[in-house]
Amino acid sequence: MSESSRRDAVLRGARELLPLWPGIFAWGLVTGVAMVKSGLSTPEALGLSLLAYAGSAQLAALPLITTLAPLWLVLLTAIIVNLRFVVYSTAIRTHFATLSSRSRLWLGYIVGDIMFVRFTSLLEREPEYPHKIAYFAGGALANWLVWQVSSIVGIFAAKLIPQSLGLELAGTLALVALVVPLCRYLPTLGGALVAAAVAILTHELPMRLGLLCAVIVGMVVALGLERWNSSRGARA
Amino acid sequence: MSEIDAFDPYVWLAILAITLATFITRSSPLLLGERLRIPPLAEAALRFAPACALAAIIAPDLLLTNGELNLSLNNARLISGCIASAIFIYFRSISGTILGGMLIYWLLTFGPSLI
Repeated sequence: MSESSRRDAVLRGARELLPLWPGIFAWGLVTGVAMVKSGLSTPEALGLSLLAYAGSAQLAALPLITTLAPLWLVLLTAIIVNLRFVVYSTAIRTHFATLSSRSRLWLGYIVGDIMFVRFTSLLEREPEYPHKIAYFAGGALANWLVWQVSSIVGIFAAKLIPQSLGLELAGTLALVALVVPLCRYLPTLGGALVAAAVAILTHELPMRLGLLCAVIVGMVVALGLERWNSSRGARA
Repeated sequence: MSEIDAFDPYVWLAILAITLATFITRSSPLLLGERLRIPPLAEAALRFAPACALAAIIAPDLLLTNGELNLSLNNARLISGCIASAIFIYFRSISGTILGGMLIYWLLTFGPSLI
């Protein structure tokens, strides 16, 4: 495994993430603004962004922090809001099996929604790609960098960014661009539609538990559709 | 306010708790690796996690207005999302999808007041 081809893979990971930067940037910006508006001081908001690196968990924890909720509740809430990452990391864990514990600890830390989807599509398109970990690291670090820069801009420019711009929509649109190509496979489309419906029905559940329900039900439906489709094909 | 800028150990402990949650949820499955055994059927279902998670994050953002399902033409976010999907299908451009969708959203939200 040559050094230069590994470096190319890092750059490729970063390059393939880059088209998503407007969405990541807008999202980070909105999160930065929200942290300051909820009453965190500038160093606290910077610390939360740079250490926790967890957009939705940060936002979910803000009302708890400002009301001085017990620390175990803050931890539990953040874990529950982050449960979808357990699903992500479980799905890709075997590709990291040969690495040292320290590498796995840090590569896990930078798993996010976008890089998870990018990484799994790479594995689907090029299962034999030799530098998949380097690709993952490059993309995830680029994501981290764009997110942190935008969060910091949001923290310092909180007063200048009007909420009416609806910037968080840009983050959602980035995810739209990621989900559309996945839905060419019909069982995936079915599962995604069911997950969307469950997410709407359960949106009032606390701590984003509805999101977790939606992901699980969607995965089961997609798998069921795939099995049903293949058994029908076998009989025909 | 100097009161807020003062060092508050509680807030920093809370920040560390959220950081710990990041490591627990994202790193522990990687650290366990193949020692984390799950049924083959569940392993097969995990292939669909990306699309399901994305759809479950997107749907409430686009379809709910103040917590209520809003499928009307007044829902600027829904319309922008649909047009953004169309942009992606035709042009295969991710940044075009994001920027195009935002332009549509701003036109729908601020356009009427400009006319």
